[in-house]
Amino acid sequence: MKKAPTRRLALGIRAQLLLVLTVFLAIPWLGYEYVRELERFLRDAQERTLAGTAQAVATALHDRPRLFEVAPTGGQALVTERGPNEVAPTVPSVVPPPPGPAAASARVPDIEQIIQGLSRTSARIWVVNRDLDVLARAGSLKGVRSAASADVALPRVWAWIDREWVHPLYALFLQQPTDDFSEEQGGRILLPAREIDGALAGILTVERRPTPDGKAVIVSAAHPIWVGDQVRGAVIVEETTNAVLAERNRAFERLFTIVLAALLIGSLALTIFASRLSSRIRRLRDEAEAAIDEQGRVRGDVVPSGAGDEIGDLSRSFASVLTRLAQYAGHQQNMASRLSHELRTPVAVVRSSLDNLRATPLPDEARVYIDRAQHGLNRLTHILTRMTEATRLEQSLGRGSVGERERFDLVAVVAGCVDGYRAAYPAKSITLRVPDGEVRVDGAPELVAQMLDKLVANAIEFATGDAPVVVSVERGDDQVRISVDNEGPALPDAMSAQLFDSMVSMRSDQGGEPHLGLGLYIVRLIAEFHGGRVAARNRDDGRGVVVTVTLPLAEADR
Amino acid sequence: MSRRIAIVEDEPAIRANYADALKRHGYEVATYADRRGALAALSTRLPDLALIDIGLADDIDGGFALCRELRALSASLPIIFLSARDSDFDIVAGLRLGADDYVTKDVSLPHLVARIAALFRRGDLLSAPPSVEDVTERGPLRVDVKRLTAYWREHRVDLTLTEFWMVHTLAKYPGHVKDRDALMRDANIVVDDSTITSHIKRIRRKFLAVDPAFDCIATVYGMGYRWNAKDA
Repeated sequence: MKKAPTRRLALGIRAQLLLVLTVFLAIPWLGYEYVRELERFLRDAQERTLAGTAQAVATALHDRPRLFEVAPTGGQALVTERGPNEVAPTVPSVVPPPPGPAAASARVPDIEQIIQGLSRTSARIWVVNRDLDVLARAGSLKGVRSAASADVALPRVWAWIDREWVHPLYALFLQQPTDDFSEEQGGRILLPAREIDGALAGILTVERRPTPDGKAVIVSAAHPIWVGDQVRGAVIVEETTNAVLAERNRAFERLFTIVLAALLIGSLALTIFASRLSSRIRRLRDEAEAAIDEQGRVRGDVVPSGAGDEIGDLSRSFASVLTRLAQYAGHQQNMASRLSHELRTPVAVVRSSLDNLRATPLPDEARVYIDRAQHGLNRLTHILTRMTEATRLEQSLGRGSVGERERFDLVAVVAGCVDGYRAAYPAKSITLRVPDGEVRVDGAPELVAQMLDKLVANAIEFATGDAPVVVSVERGDDQVRISVDNEGPALPDAMSAQLFDSMVSMRSDQGGEPHLGLGLYIVRLIAEFHGGRVAARNRDDGRGVVVTVTLPLAEADR
Repeated sequence: MSRRIAIVEDEPAIRANYADALKRHGYEVATYADRRGALAALSTRLPDLALIDIGLADDIDGGFALCRELRALSASLPIIFLSARDSDFDIVAGLRLGADDYVTKDVSLPHLVARIAALFRRGDLLSAPPSVEDVTERGPLRVDVKRLTAYWREHRVDLTLTEFWMVHTLAKYPGHVKDRDALMRDANIVVDDSTITSHIKRIRRKFLAVDPAFDCIATVYGMGYRWNAKDA
């Protein structure tokens, strides 16, 4: 059967399912949003922690005015510099020594001692006085190793894959925490900033700022140190967001890896499932297509599937549809023969009545009508015989009651037949072209003769002009071609394939012999019975038609 | 005493027409519409000849069954199948059951009467001495037109009427090709080409059963059949 020519969008089930699967791409996006939320949360927590640390350090330094009575030496390294972009003067401000006992260093060992105890590994703590002199510093922003890849006990292979493939892959589009950032002056000095100003004004302030090279973000919290009701200094706790970033990345990687793996496995499973599904459907389609040939006859069977699902159902209903179709086709095929059978009885009634009538004394004028009735009856009988011919042939070919196949000389059969046709159609000349020697074919010679009868009768009927009908036999390597060529009207293009179907006739009704369009159908049946085929085409000069039957040679002669 | 013919046919019009025609020719006719009625009546008194339709109303193969039953009652009762069917299959099946002849309903009444008469004649004359003029001899073949019997090398070849007439037609003019129309005309049958073919095949088989070397009936493709003369 021909496939539907209008296929707008050829998407297989697999492609469609994969398309549906794209809906699940929303899951990574949801995960992304979730991780962003997590990150925000972690940042808040970090800020709170830093603020808490600052507060704790400050609490330890509250109301200890003695600690702030040490005057800095004014050493350059300890002088706070203003950043070049700051509004404040860029010149290093030389802070006048505070009153009180002189100290050897601005760094106050007591404070150092206190904050050492409070310092966290990942944070840097400064203590400054009102003049922004650094009184103490502890900790470093760098040197915190993220424990991202070491925490999960993965199998070694996965760990390797994770390290060698997954991680680098994510590194392409996730910002990686790095210690490789630079600070002004290497972080040895403290830059004045809003949070310090805020702290010195008595307010706990948390700020974040990127490093100058943009590789990291530093969160810093400043807490005032009170002595009585005076702000005497500030504690500044700084930390990079690297830990948060690492945590975020880790969450991101794990989420993405899991989601991607799930998606991959899901699509794989769906693809396999869809492939199975579509292969079952395709098999069903192929079976259904093979079951019915070009002429719409039921040729084969769909083996009903035992599967309990809808495709199994479809297959079973296909099988039953085909069975019913075959029954219907069989019913139709038998129609002609049953019809003729049914008609034969009334015809016999008429015939026997006419015969009886003839035996009784009748006036002459009545005999004329009896003769006419008899004539009409004979034609009717002829039609009935023709009607059953094809069906009978089909039945006997199908039942194998044609008798054993024999090996016979095709040339002798064709030549004999043509002799007969010359006698039967004296008005038309028939040319015979056969090769020398025998051309042996396995089959039934009387069927081949019957086939030739139909071909030649057909050719002679369509032949116009004086050109002879040419019957030729050509021997090929493993097959033989029998052609019947007549001059006459060309075939309409669309008809040449259907010409050999049952009940297809090209003749315009011109009276005479009845045409049921069964002749060439019989030719096809016989050709197919011999394992051959038949084709009709217009002659190259367009002024005639050639019908060619191709039969396989007897096996020994190939 | 006139001969008694039983007609078993489910179609009343045909039954009546055939009965009328046969009565006109002097036969006594008994008609039956179904198998059971026919068997009941015929088993008490056998007719001289039975004309049986294969399909009897709803009983599709009722005629075949009736033939079997009648044949069981009498081995010599002439039985003719009359049928609308003319497929090879039905003919072979009918003849295998022991019918003497098989005619389709296309047969004309004069033909039918002629066949019935011929069957009776064969029965009558089978025992009587043959008269020379009725016998055609072609080498090993001897055909007795009166008795409608054929012998090959002195062996009786058991032919049906149709087959007998075909053999007769072919053997009458050895070497002449008889086309299908001529064979049909002489055998008083109207069948299609393929049925003629199967008749010929059956005839060949019957001769071959008597003499495996038999090859006198030649097929002339596209034309018909020919009797090849053969010296004894």
